[in-house]
Formats: sequence, structure tokens, C-alpha cells
Amino acid sequence: MKEGTERKLIIDGKRLDGRGFEELRPIKIEIGVLKRADGSCYLEVGDNKVIAAVYGPREMHPRHAQDAKMAVIKYRYNMAPFSVDDRKRPGPDRRSVEISKVSREAFDPVIMKEYYPKMAIEVYVEMLQSDAGTRTAGINAASIALADAGIPMTDLVSSIAVGKIDGEVVLDLTGVEDNNGEADMPIAMIARTNTITALQMDGHLTKEEFKRGLKLAMGACHQIYELQRAALIERYSKSEEREEKKRD
Amino acid sequence: MYKVVVPGDFISEEAERAGEGTYVEDGKVYAMNYGIVEEREEIKVVALSGKYMPAKGDVVIGRIAEISFPFWIVDIASPYEARLHVSEFAEGRDKIEFGSMSRYLDVDDFIVAKVMDVNVLMRIELALKEEFKMSGVGRLVEIPHTKVPRVIGRSGSMIKTLKEKCNCFIFIAKNGRIWIKGSEADMNLASEVILKIVNEAHTSGLTDRVTNFLDSFRRDKEKGEEK
Amino acid sequence: MGLEIIADIRKDYVCNLVRGGKREEGRGFREYREISVERDIIKRAEGSARVKIGDTEVLVGVKVELGEPFSDTPDKGVIITNAELVPLASPEFESGPPNENSVQLARVVDRGIRESKAIDLKKLCIEEGEKVWIVFIDVHVLDNDGNLVDAAALGAIAALLNIRIPNERYGLTGENTLPMRDTPVAVTMAEVEGNILVDPNFNEENAATSRLTVISNADGSLSGMQKSGSGGLKEEEVVEMVEIGIEKAREIREKYLSPL
Repeated sequence: MKEGTERKLIIDGKRLDGRGFEELRPIKIEIGVLKRADGSCYLEVGDNKVIAAVYGPREMHPRHAQDAKMAVIKYRYNMAPFSVDDRKRPGPDRRSVEISKVSREAFDPVIMKEYYPKMAIEVYVEMLQSDAGTRTAGINAASIALADAGIPMTDLVSSIAVGKIDGEVVLDLTGVEDNNGEADMPIAMIARTNTITALQMDGHLTKEEFKRGLKLAMGACHQIYELQRAALIERYSKSEEREEKKRD
Repeated sequence: MYKVVVPGDFISEEAERAGEGTYVEDGKVYAMNYGIVEEREEIKVVALSGKYMPAKGDVVIGRIAEISFPFWIVDIASPYEARLHVSEFAEGRDKIEFGSMSRYLDVDDFIVAKVMDVNVLMRIELALKEEFKMSGVGRLVEIPHTKVPRVIGRSGSMIKTLKEKCNCFIFIAKNGRIWIKGSEADMNLASEVILKIVNEAHTSGLTDRVTNFLDSFRRDKEKGEEK
Repeated sequence: MGLEIIADIRKDYVCNLVRGGKREEGRGFREYREISVERDIIKRAEGSARVKIGDTEVLVGVKVELGEPFSDTPDKGVIITNAELVPLASPEFESGPPNENSVQLARVVDRGIRESKAIDLKKLCIEEGEKVWIVFIDVHVLDNDGNLVDAAALGAIAALLNIRIPNERYGLTGENTLPMRDTPVAVTMAEVEGNILVDPNFNEENAATSRLTVISNADGSLSGMQKSGSGGLKEEEVVEMVEIGIEKAREIREKYLSPL
């Protein structure tokens, strides 16, 4: 997090993009967008554009890393070079490596790995356009892609970040807010059981701000879960409508 | 109609009836798959997608992938490979020797086989029965295994319609591979209809639409029009 | 298969102990193993510290070099944190490029220092846009018996507390010391059988489903948090871990990071 120039992020009680402190950016979800992948999801959160693909279960390579009793989950978060203002050199950097690890661990509690011994379940998340909150958008898309691929899970995972700007705890930071703000805390959660599967924080928060932020984030994850679920359910009724229209 | 569920959706309090595609937590039944709830004696969630996982008793169409005496390694459209032991090749002849396996079944040959066993480590044993040999010409198509029940239809109604109206021999294996035998034109028609069923599998009134489509095709053909 | 069986036995052993309210070597759930901090032990480094927490041993070396600032912060020095899980430290460490564990370790240690603003980066600026000091913090893990994060973070702060700015080497004049504005301390807790264990050792790390690292500053505010592991945590557990983390950090700060 860079130290900001003294830029006001809250003007007349509203954020720069007009949102309230506890308001999510608009979310758009499309499922099954890739032909070759076993499951896929394209997702937008504000100006973030992310695509997640799942391959698997399929043979695990390298062989020696196979687990005889269950599937191994691989997660690769990557940013396209053109996704940010200053071109990002292609290939994994340390930030991507850390995000990949934290994201994979967010899904460990829900994926039923025991059904596929010796196999790999691979999740690939590509950020096509970035405006802060990319890892959480990636997790939301990956959840849907895993369901689309028919991977058995106990639950979907939902994810969002809270932060602090101009001393206020707010939900779902934009890039400007993240760069000039005082704290950033992404979480991932199982909505059904209120179980937190990923949690990171950097910046400056008092204990009270942290507690408030955590509650705010958890509430937002419930909202996001409803959107994820609705998109998956709608996918099949939508096709039904499309067919009926064709017949008329 | 049907009820679509996502992983984690609560389905029922009757934990004793929990079946495939569900899991039980605190005495409640939840969905494990993204799929459609089926409530008969068991509560199941039939997955809308996912790879074919073989179960004992399934009849599958396999492709010989490798010869590794005394087994043929068979690709059964699953993440896991299966194997066929030489002794399962019931031809009433003498034991098959090392080096002569390819004379019976060679790489890229297709077989119809039954899954005899699947163990915890996912070792899959196949058996090739006389009545399941694939002979004669024909066409092999592959559909997602999740759509197989739809192509078969309730009590086999859909496949019966297909066989009659397309005038083809059609054999659908559990792993999504379908063997069609008939004239070129008839096989084309059958393939087209199967694709239509796969794309519209989740819609209602499909059986009627398919029947109408095939009937109108026949009518047009009789009228001498090429479709 | 051999290694996995041993891992299961190890896990059961820890879980059985915890269920009976105990830990290995009679430690309390909230108790750290014995900590020792030695400062200034590597002559060639501009700052160094050796930290032992129980049998876990970490060496942190700080090197300060002249360099160019980043284009978007022309008036600020640079901190670069790296961690090496060298093969001699554990049968599980392999030689090769940094893997996800060493990357995570480095970034979490870095987070505490950076977000607490413990170092005033502006004081590292010699000539705006041209010359700044680059502070390399290198964590060298020597023995892994669990909880590398806390050891590495403690070592980094201890090494920075007596950093020497090598002005003479570059023919410069200037302050040879760099006062720290804060002393962030990382406290890691593991969740085993519903219990919170502070400073998990290697066996406890493997038995635990989740771990949470809480980095707090001298005034009790938070500068970093990181959850790792394959399990889930409830809100109440997270909140309790934060409380414990802030409290234990205070104890460690008083005992090991007081000015020399």
C-alpha cells in the first residue's frame, strides 16, 4: 500500500464513485464461457474483469506429487500484462504466488478431494482488467467455475474486501481507494456456516475497526453468495426460456 | 418440474435417505453437486456436469490406449484408466502370449466392456463379454455422460423413438460413448438428433419436440426435399 | 506412503494431548517456547539478529545499499524482504527457486514492517529521484520446528533496531543510525481441536487445520494479518485470536525489543 498524496476519498459523506460506505460495486456473472475448460466463469466487479477456468479432475503432474488418497488442488492467479496501468511483466511474481496460495487454501475446506485420489483439480484465474479486489473477484469466479465443472463441494465460497479510507471502514475498495487508503482486508467465507476460509490484512486498523470491518465483510459475502447461487440456478432456466422463444 | 441446486443447498431432514450427490451434516441432507434433485426412495442430486466416474456393473465403450502385458490399458472417457486382463478375453482359445496381444486387440481399437470392479485406489477392472463385441462398421460419438439418461429417456422412450425413426442400431454406453450403425444418411440424422437432445437436455417437452422433428424430417424426405 | 503415515501419527499425538488440555513439554496453550534474541552477530551486515523460538532458528541479515528510488516514490527509500528456506533447515525444504511458503513468509514479515511505518522511508532518501538507501532484509531459516513467521518477524525488527547506514562506504556524510518509529510484532496461533495454541511447533502446525498470524504495533493497533492452512475459522475465533495476538505481542516487545 502506497502512502497517499493527501487525496480526499470521501466527499460529503459519499465515496468518489458515489457509493455508500457499505455498498458493493455492481457484479456481473457469466457461466460456461470457455469451450475447452471443464468449468468456467467470467465475472466483473466494478471495473475488475476476471475469468476463471477449472480443469479436472485429471491426471496429476508431476507424478511424485500425487496424493494416493485424494485429489491435489492447484490454483494459479495471474494478471494479464495489460490489466494494469503500468504494464505488468508476464509470468508469476511474488504477489501472484502468495495470492495463489491463499486462494487455494480458501477452497481447501469445501472441495471433496477424497472422491478423486491421485488426480489434480486445477483452477486458473486470469485478471483481464484490474481495479482493486482482484483476488476476491477471482475467488468468486473460481467458486462458480468449480460448480460448473461438476466438482463436488460442501459449499460455494464467497469473497470480498473491506478497507479504511479517510478514517472510515468501507466495503469493496476501488483502485484509487486502495492506493490512497489506510487499510485493506480481503476475506473469503462459506456463507452457509459463516466459516472464514481466507483472511488477510495490511495497513492500519484499531482492534475495533477490525471487528467492524470483519462483520461488514461477512455480511457482504452473504450478498455475494446469493448472486453466485442465482447465476448458477438461472443458467438452466434461462436456456429453457431461450428454447421456448425459438419455438414461437 | 425439476429443482436445480448448488453445492451447500439444504435438501432434507431425512438423513437416512441421503444418496448420491448429497452429503449429511448434523442430521441434514445437503447438495454436494451442482445438479438436479431426484427424490425417489433415495434423495439424489444428479450432476449437470462433471467427469464420468465408473461404477461396478456399468457397461462402457472403451478405447485401447496401451498394451502392457498382461493388460490392455483402456481409456473409458474418465480421469481414470481401466484395464482388461488377457484372461477376460473370452475367445475359447489358448492363453494369449506376451507379444501377441495386439493380434486380438490393438491400440485404438474400440470395445464394449463391463466394469467388474473399482477399488479404493481407483483401479478399474474390465471384462469383455462375447455379446458385447463391437463388430461391423458404424460411427462412434461421444456426449457428456451426464446427458446419457436424457438420450435414453424415461423407460427408454427416447432411444426407442430414435432407433425407430432413424432406422439405426444405437448403443449408448454409461460413459457417454454412443455406437451408431446404419446408412450414412440415417447415421447423420441420428447424430444430429442426439446433439439436439444434448443441447436441450434440461428443457421440458423434449421427447415430443424430438418426435416432431423426426416426423417432419421424414415427411420432407418423402416429399423429395433435401434438408 | 511412509511419510504420510508418520504424519497421521504425529497429528493424532498432538490432538490427543490437546483434548487432555496439554501440549508437548507441558506448555500452556497461550505460552511461547523459550525465546532468545541475539543482535549484531554478522559483522558484514548492516544489521543482524539471530532468533530462536524453541528449536526453531532463524537468522536475519540486513544489508543497506545505495540505489535508485521507484519512479512513483522519488523521495522514499526502498525495503526489500526475502526469505530462504534453505535445505539444511528441514528434510522438507528443497533447493531451488522460492516456493510459495518462502514467498508467503517474506511477504508477511514485510507487511508488518511496511504497514506499521516502522521505518520512515523518507529518511532513507539522499537525493530525491536519484539516490536512496535500499534496505535488504534477508531471512535465512536455519532450523524449522514450526512458527517461522514469528521468529523471522522478530529477527527482522531486532536486526533493524541497530541498523548502521554505511555512509563511509559510499563517501557520504549523514546519520549512521535509523531510529525505528514502531516495533511491530507477529504472533501466530494455530487452531487444534477447537483450541487456540500460541506459537505452534512443527508437530502442532501439521495437526492444525488453520493458523492465524496477527501483527500488531506498540499501541495495540493492527498492521497485518494472515490466515493460512486448509481449515475454516469462525468469527469469534478470529476475534479472540486478535485479542490474544495483541496481548502476546506486548509481552514479547517488552522482553526482547527494548532499546539496547
